[in-house]
Amino acid sequence: MSLPPVLRLVVRNFASNLDPLTIVIRFGQPAITIAVLGTMFSGIVASALTDGLSYTAFLVPGMVAFQMITGGVVSGNLFWLDRRWSMTEQIFSGPFLRAEYLGGLVLTTLLFSLVGVGIMMLVGLPFIGVSALSAVGVLTVLLTVGLGSIFFAGLLITLGTRLRSANAYFTIQSFLQLFVIFLSTVYYPITSTTPKVLATIFYFNPLTYAANTIRDAFNGRFCAADLIGIGVLGTLAAVGFGAAIWGFRTMDLGPIQ
Amino acid sequence: MTSNDVVIETRDLGYAYAAGRFAIRHLSLSLHRGEILGLLGRNGAGKTTTVRLLTTLLPPSEGTAIVLGQDIRAAGRALRARLGVVLQSESLDFVTVEKNLSLYAFLWGVPREIAKTRAEEMIELFELEHARRRKPWALSGGERRRFQVARELMHDMEILFLDEPTVGLDAISRRRILAYLRRRAKGGLSIVFTTHIMHEADMLCDRIAVVHKGKLLALSTADELKHQHGGAREVTIIFSTPLTSNLRAEFASAIGQHGAVLLAPEPGSDPLPGQVSFRAERAEELLPWASHWAQAHALEIERMAIEEATLEGAFLGMIGETEEGEAPEPGGPTSAAGVLTRVSGGGLP
Repeated sequence: MSLPPVLRLVVRNFASNLDPLTIVIRFGQPAITIAVLGTMFSGIVASALTDGLSYTAFLVPGMVAFQMITGGVVSGNLFWLDRRWSMTEQIFSGPFLRAEYLGGLVLTTLLFSLVGVGIMMLVGLPFIGVSALSAVGVLTVLLTVGLGSIFFAGLLITLGTRLRSANAYFTIQSFLQLFVIFLSTVYYPITSTTPKVLATIFYFNPLTYAANTIRDAFNGRFCAADLIGIGVLGTLAAVGFGAAIWGFRTMDLGPIQ
Repeated sequence: MTSNDVVIETRDLGYAYAAGRFAIRHLSLSLHRGEILGLLGRNGAGKTTTVRLLTTLLPPSEGTAIVLGQDIRAAGRALRARLGVVLQSESLDFVTVEKNLSLYAFLWGVPREIAKTRAEEMIELFELEHARRRKPWALSGGERRRFQVARELMHDMEILFLDEPTVGLDAISRRRILAYLRRRAKGGLSIVFTTHIMHEADMLCDRIAVVHKGKLLALSTADELKHQHGGAREVTIIFSTPLTSNLRAEFASAIGQHGAVLLAPEPGSDPLPGQVSFRAERAEELLPWASHWAQAHALEIERMAIEEATLEGAFLGMIGETEEGEAPEPGGPTSAAGVLTRVSGGGLP
């Protein structure tokens, strides 16, 4: 008996498009960031700025939140390559629904993000202590990253359904990553010295809500703002997924080379 | 054939990619079980759009199509599970040829053991043994095309759509693949085969649909198309004795009444003493008349040959009929082929 179509597509997504080097780089980069950047900046950044935490302990939740970008990018790229190499059309000519293909991409994103979360926590826990996370905290982290991943996957898939140039897709994707990462609280907190304009922009960035919520989950300091953060991410996930569905329903399946 | 044998039936099928701009229109055709239907047309004629419509990749703008008993407007996964499609564009996964085959079979839910055996068959049949551990982009264009056809044959199907599957293939590979498709059709597989390569359609297809600028110009067997649209062809008759000038003039006059034109020997050519040549539409229908004429004049025909009708000639004839300025050159569309086939040897009764 064969697996349901969605799961067959997930297996195919992993087997066909994720080469080992890409996986190592995608997970290795944030892990190295924790190990190197965290260690080096811990001696420079005053703990007063990071709520009494070492910079590494501040950074680890940020890198965990970053996994939602990693997952989203993997999914967006997977879709783009499928479209570029006509595999989308080939798959749709088989016994699959568009919804299943999209579902397969979202599941791939979630799996990728969650594996990333696991790796970041393995790398980060020695710096922040093994007892840092409660069960509720773990669930909050998974929910936050999951919702964020769906949002970013939806965003990039939608982009992939509209663009017909590889250059345009990868340029926009890189810019988006840069923008989202550096205009968020992944690397630095919003303090009284943060320029108002930047602080405002930070709060238009879903990664800020994810990083703040995960940071609070790590430190057992839940507050209403975190619930709002999860609500924002949930809404954005729905919007991103809806946009991807719209993109799928309206895109031209034909070759784009 | 019974109506149960019909696997595709379209009525006035059409697709407009923009308001009023049809890629294909008024397409009415049928495909029977075990039949190979060729869709023949120039680039952009509407062949790929037809394949995409019939495989539910595009929704029709007008008309109907019933494929394997299902209306393509309502059919989805259940229908596509019974089809195989080799798209015109290259579609590749970034793993080795061998892995690609097994992964595609997995995607289609083919049991692992069957997939393994089938992959070996396909690797052998499509001469991919040397490429088994290479990734598709490391293959030549022809190898990639062979691989793509091989991959589609990893799963079971009732209708196979092949959109220009032999582009870039060498003659041996092409013949091998066409022979395999012919065997599969004999086994009951129905095939829709698009091509713009005439002799390939002639060699493989039971019937050919000629599509031009989104319209179906003709649908028939290759022989019938050649017969109907092959244009004027040259007939050469060699009498055992040379014709006197009177007899020659009489022959020219008589054959002229049948719409044929006696041809003067080409400058520099060295015709045989009893040789006469004429050009006529439906030339083969004049052969019995010519032998009767010879009998009536106590002449013996040593040899009679008729220029071979080609599908290319018929195709160009049809296209020429529809396009001003693209009409075939004087002398008929088949003149380029210039092949003389001996149809009768020795004297006629």
